[in-house]
Amino acid sequence: MSQAALSVEALSKSFGGLHVFKDLTFDLAPGEILGVIGPNGAGKTTLVNVLSNQLTATSGTVRLYGEVVSGRSFPATARLGLVRSFQHTSVFPTATVAENLVRARYFAGRPPQIHTEATELLEVCGLGAVFHRKAVDLPYGLQKTLGLVMSCLAEPKVLMMDEPAAGLERVERIVVDKLVHYASHVLECSIMIVEHDMDLIRRLCPRSIVLEGGKILAQGATPNVLSEPSVISAYLGEALEANDAVH
Amino acid sequence: MKKDMPYSVLQRERQFSGSDRVTLVALLLAAALPLLTSNILVQSVASQALIGFCGALAVHLMLRLGLLNFSVPGFMAVGGYAAAIAAEYGVQDLFALLGIAFSAPVVLAIPIGWIVLRLKGVYFVLVTYLLTEIVQLVIVETPSLTGGTNGLIGFPPTTFFGTELISGPAVYYTCYAAAIVALFVALWSTRSYGDIYDSQAHNETLAQSLGLDTARYKAQAFPVSAGVAGLGGFALVQLLITAHPLSFTAASSVNYIAYVLIGGAASLLGALLGTVVLVTAITQFSWSGEYSLGLFGLLLIFSVLFMRDGVVGVFTKIAHTIRGRNQLAYPATQGDPT
Repeated sequence: MSQAALSVEALSKSFGGLHVFKDLTFDLAPGEILGVIGPNGAGKTTLVNVLSNQLTATSGTVRLYGEVVSGRSFPATARLGLVRSFQHTSVFPTATVAENLVRARYFAGRPPQIHTEATELLEVCGLGAVFHRKAVDLPYGLQKTLGLVMSCLAEPKVLMMDEPAAGLERVERIVVDKLVHYASHVLECSIMIVEHDMDLIRRLCPRSIVLEGGKILAQGATPNVLSEPSVISAYLGEALEANDAVH
Repeated sequence: MKKDMPYSVLQRERQFSGSDRVTLVALLLAAALPLLTSNILVQSVASQALIGFCGALAVHLMLRLGLLNFSVPGFMAVGGYAAAIAAEYGVQDLFALLGIAFSAPVVLAIPIGWIVLRLKGVYFVLVTYLLTEIVQLVIVETPSLTGGTNGLIGFPPTTFFGTELISGPAVYYTCYAAAIVALFVALWSTRSYGDIYDSQAHNETLAQSLGLDTARYKAQAFPVSAGVAGLGGFALVQLLITAHPLSFTAASSVNYIAYVLIGGAASLLGALLGTVVLVTAITQFSWSGEYSLGLFGLLLIFSVLFMRDGVVGVFTKIAHTIRGRNQLAYPATQGDPT
């Protein structure tokens, strides 16, 4: 069996007496795209925060290709190749799009050159046309896209995307597909997507885990997970049943 | 970033900006002041402005990282006293004293920075303010070294290749030397790490998420800021011919911060313009006796209300307006060739 890209063992996080999640154990295989879903308050974003060492784990171990990353600093974890994107727009507002991209490369310790595929990606995402505009002047969707592109340009080994489609209009969400395709096929990195958009999870993630009440409620092939009665009742409710009926 | 640069190869923006060039040229031209006027008052005010500029640069360097630094007078005191004490021990050479005035605060700031840079926002402000108070306390409580509340008086004058710098113009050039060294240090720092500082100030979490060790750059900027402040302290001690604790009160840090905010916090030019405007204003207001502080306060309120980006921001807006008018006046350059 090949070594896991990301291995999470008995990971727990508490804030005082509040247990956000407890004894989470799961793996992410090299090149795999894993969906993480769950109701609000299930601890999905906290999981990303802890895995990236933005928050310190209460207990447990996280390994990146066998190397223990638990206890390292947030930037050191990113430099090792475990990079996250953010749910909200996250850019350097006073810098231009070009400068934002330069900084992403430089801060990640990458050379300034970017792949031809990346330049094409910028055009496809609509960033080529606003290359010299300040990030703060971009509309929400482009700012969100820029933040996602920056996390890709850091060339991670494992990319954790925290609600990449949040706030994007339906037509803009195709950008997320293209970014995931770029990260998966060009960068060949493993991807963990935290998302509420079930269509996106179905499209992009062959495997998913469901968090609920700080525990893994279900995991496995995404279609199977989404059709499990416990998942439907705990999180998706009647909305998904109606959605499935339509499909 | 030039418009025609292909973005397959991205480069960091590290050239001198237009405002940096203006700042440098303005300061170089200031060297001619004693040749233009022998008025002692003008030279004294100009010397004060050069000292204030050093303090403003020290504030600016930390503000670029999003940190409001109130420890500038404390490090000015360290630089000023270190140079005065060195002079008492026979070190009189200008270059050596500049080196001491810069190095002493740097050495002190390295371990202090390790502690205070863990703090952010109002906590950083509070601790840096207290830092200046602690320096004051140490000065007062160590009279054998610092002269205590009497200060250090009568230390040997600074020399430049053997010539004693005691005349009015000579003292001005001593302050000028401190300011020009401070500017070059600030230029080096902001040109080398400006984009990194800017990233930390505006979105530190994003910078860290991409792999930037922000703690390292803060730890680097803090001693540099302290060193620049130390140069200002050296100049102040030379101007007053005294190293006295009241020259470096924590309250004076408000002035240096005001210089930066009024001039414009985004550039070194802002620090220069703010210093010149406020030092001149303070001098003018001082003729108004008891009303001087009130007039100074009114100027600050006016500036905050109507010049949010400082004096530099006003000039930038005017320049943009003129540029916009010019583009409207010559539409044929962009329009249909027919």
